[in-house]
Amino acid sequence: MRQKTLGLAASLLALTAGMASAESTVRFWYHFDNADNPMDELVSTFEEQNPEITVEAENIPWNSYYDNLYTSIIGGNAPDAAMVKMFAQPRLIEMGALEPIGDRIDSWEGKDDLQDNLLELTVAEDGSSYYLPVQYVVLYMYYRPDMFEELGLEVPQTCEEFREAANALTRDTDDDGQTDVYGFGFRGGKGGHDHWASFTLGREGADLTDNIESEAAVAGTQFVVDLFREDGVFPPSAPNDGFQETIGAFKAGKTAMTIHHIGSANGMVEALGDKVSAAPVPECGGGRWTAYGDESTAVMSSAEDKDAAWKWISFLSEAGNNALFNEATGQLPVTKTDRDEWSLHPKRFVEATAESLPFANLLPNRPETSDFVNTVWPVAMQRALTGEITAEEMNAEIAELYSE
Amino acid sequence: MMALGKRSLRRRLLTVDLPMALVLVFTLGPYLWMFVTSVTPESRLFTEGPSLVQATIDNYTRLFRTVGFGDNLLDSFIVAAGTVVVGLSLSVTAAYSFSRFSFRGKRVLMLQFLLINMFPLVLLILPLFVVMRILGLLDTHFALIIANSTIAIPFSVWMMVSYMNGIPRSLDEAAMTDGCTRLGALRRVVLPLCVPGIIATGIYIFITSWNEYLYALTLGGQDVRTITVAVQTLIGEYEVQWGLLTAGGIVGAMPATVLFLLVQKRLISGLTQGAVKG
Amino acid sequence: MTAQDHSATGPARAEAGTGRHKLGRRVLPYAMLSPAVIVTLAIVFFPMLQTAWMSLHEYVLFRPDDFTFIGFENFVTAFNDEVFWISLWHTIIWIGITIPAQVLLGLVTALLLNQEFPWRPVARALIIIPWALPSVVIALMWVWIYDSNYGVLNDFLLRLGLIEQAVPWLANPDTALGAIILTLTWQGFPFFAVMILAGLQSIPKSYYEAASLDGASTWQQFRYITLPGISGVLVTSVLLRTIWVANSFDVIFVMTGGGPGYATYTLPLYAFVKARTNLDFGYGSALAVLFTMLLMVIVLLYLRRTGKAVE
Repeated sequence: MRQKTLGLAASLLALTAGMASAESTVRFWYHFDNADNPMDELVSTFEEQNPEITVEAENIPWNSYYDNLYTSIIGGNAPDAAMVKMFAQPRLIEMGALEPIGDRIDSWEGKDDLQDNLLELTVAEDGSSYYLPVQYVVLYMYYRPDMFEELGLEVPQTCEEFREAANALTRDTDDDGQTDVYGFGFRGGKGGHDHWASFTLGREGADLTDNIESEAAVAGTQFVVDLFREDGVFPPSAPNDGFQETIGAFKAGKTAMTIHHIGSANGMVEALGDKVSAAPVPECGGGRWTAYGDESTAVMSSAEDKDAAWKWISFLSEAGNNALFNEATGQLPVTKTDRDEWSLHPKRFVEATAESLPFANLLPNRPETSDFVNTVWPVAMQRALTGEITAEEMNAEIAELYSE
Repeated sequence: MMALGKRSLRRRLLTVDLPMALVLVFTLGPYLWMFVTSVTPESRLFTEGPSLVQATIDNYTRLFRTVGFGDNLLDSFIVAAGTVVVGLSLSVTAAYSFSRFSFRGKRVLMLQFLLINMFPLVLLILPLFVVMRILGLLDTHFALIIANSTIAIPFSVWMMVSYMNGIPRSLDEAAMTDGCTRLGALRRVVLPLCVPGIIATGIYIFITSWNEYLYALTLGGQDVRTITVAVQTLIGEYEVQWGLLTAGGIVGAMPATVLFLLVQKRLISGLTQGAVKG
Repeated sequence: MTAQDHSATGPARAEAGTGRHKLGRRVLPYAMLSPAVIVTLAIVFFPMLQTAWMSLHEYVLFRPDDFTFIGFENFVTAFNDEVFWISLWHTIIWIGITIPAQVLLGLVTALLLNQEFPWRPVARALIIIPWALPSVVIALMWVWIYDSNYGVLNDFLLRLGLIEQAVPWLANPDTALGAIILTLTWQGFPFFAVMILAGLQSIPKSYYEAASLDGASTWQQFRYITLPGISGVLVTSVLLRTIWVANSFDVIFVMTGGGPGYATYTLPLYAFVKARTNLDFGYGSALAVLFTMLLMVIVLLYLRRTGKAVE
């Protein structure tokens, strides 16, 4: 109730303040993994600086976010600005829902402070800019420096070194005949395609949509299957493990390496202290591949007051505010200033992210990709890991999806 | 006498209490498991698994303090209670009409109500969204009450018809010959007799709209955010907030359960009191 | 009983009243119906017709200007669509198992709750908990229960020695649908328990007293007093519940999203995925229309067999 009253008071204030200048409201949609509603502070700071604008920020459930966004656009009640990802861009452009903001970005003083390449990554196929980056993550490898040191191992740079290290790290530490540390925490459940992709898609001659049945690509899948079935360096539950399980096992010391982004760094440090560090994923078959997680903001073409909407989204990507925003989401700020002063995550994780940026990729922007992520990959991977199908058959299933 | 009493007690324990306990274990097991999850500290959940060791109510305090679950409960309650009132009053009169009159188009009209419930909701959302936008009702309790009522009315009408058919027509006809009007007969004779039916139907409506998600998400918004939508925001892109989610589930199930506890006596009394018995 | 005596003559006398009375009698039923009918027509019927119209078009939401009439092409596509038949088959299994299971468990529970025992009020209130929980929470809870690492079900079965290693219930195509049906049964049986209980309450106790005086066995009492007494409620609630369960996909959607593969696709889920995820409203509408027609046929057959509900 308190929030609503505050909101009411704020809009009354805005109303009186707005007598002088034009007064407007910006409806903003976002989704956060952080349940504690951290957007309020940003909104009130913004409204203090811009008394003529009221921001209504609405937290939309992630799993219905895009459904709901599309419905509201078609239904004529779209928000004025929204948090958006690259995969939705072609659709939103086709719907005519996005406002080009290239000119605004060019004349915006915050532009130079944005980290290099981020604006190029978010540019649309037609060459215009519709997105303003607001946060990003890149996947890298977490490892246990203490275990590496104990066994005299180096951080693996290639898949071969990775396999050797993983085998060495898989140990029975208390001599009870049971393995209690596994080399790598593999995510075999939904969302684990990034792990598989790092071992597979970096290889020369492997491409998810074009030639996933090539020798190189099959070798990647075979590599993963062998690690589990031949070497036994993944925990036995690997085929079903999701995010929580892989991260939980690493924190509990049951695995010595795993792959994830900076979002889980603080939790790991809390559990393991200095005994956790990070490095880019190994190079496999002549190349590296890791996943890039993007998040931008956009002004919708239906916005009544586009200047106000732009003011709000550019506010979020300005130094300081962007740091506040990312402290809430646990991801990385897009501004150079905030990056240099970034203290939310220990430096080693920020560096691993930066080192991984050159070979970070988005999954191909195709409608089939959501099926790949949600059904085809998890099912095929689980069956391959349990030996129901071979690596060739798994890749053939993916090829079939993309050939439709 | 003593021996007989003992035997019947044992018999009761075996035929009633024991099976009842088994059904309740099946019913409550998952709920209790959920409770245990909700009081397990987040840090232990994925390392040790849910347990009562180091139990904490952190999730509950967070739920109300920072997530703002109290507001959501209030919104849900307004919507559900409003739907019960609108849904019941519209459907009781309709059901009386179906039960006591024969008229042209009766069969078609009754089937019409069924048809409404058969159509997958998801495809109705977009047109409904547009209608509500034009009427300026988006993000109001009223929009959700009306939308939920349409889900509830068909069911309520059919349910009430079958209850009312169980009440002898002779009773209201007698009342009418004694000088009551039709509506008087409905109010004085039929309604008191279908109290159990009305309560069961009311509970159904309450629970259905309490748990409704799709309409709440699309037609609600900043001002009206029901618990189903609030709970859904706990399922993030990268992580599910298990602790908060289960705490939300535990709290979310309370109102309907308490409500049922309060009204269940009425459900029992129903027909045993009043005219039929005499 | 005076009421009984009047029953034959009462209505006749009322009918034979004044003209005003006659008119009132003709208009009254419609007047009493109209609020409910108008609301449902406006909110559901109109959008439904619009959807039916969409099903005859090629209409993808993110190309709003491309709205071409294509006749029944969407329906032809559906009949040639393997996923349509898979979903249809799952829908049939899904309803065919879930509803009887819910009814049976609900009936047993209602009969138990109708007995006299000291903690009956508590039991009556607790029984509806599964039904009072939001579907989203239920679905996630059961995902959690079925989990092969932390799930309590595997843990329990392993301890009992019924299985040798943890079963990934939802990840295995052979067990996924069954696992979801169990969840839905759990969620839905309290509904039948409450409905049947209300029906049981309306059977006068004197019937049972008279029957036991006549020496009828418990089974005979159940067969000849209880069943006929609750048949009206049972017929209606089975009908309505079938429609409801057939249409509800939220639990499946959250638990498996239809997977693994198409192992847990049902028709409404398929329509949902097409319309809401792929934004293909033309095809999604066609699926919805087909589904509604199939359901309508089943409902009409059911009503013909049971006969009484519409009288």
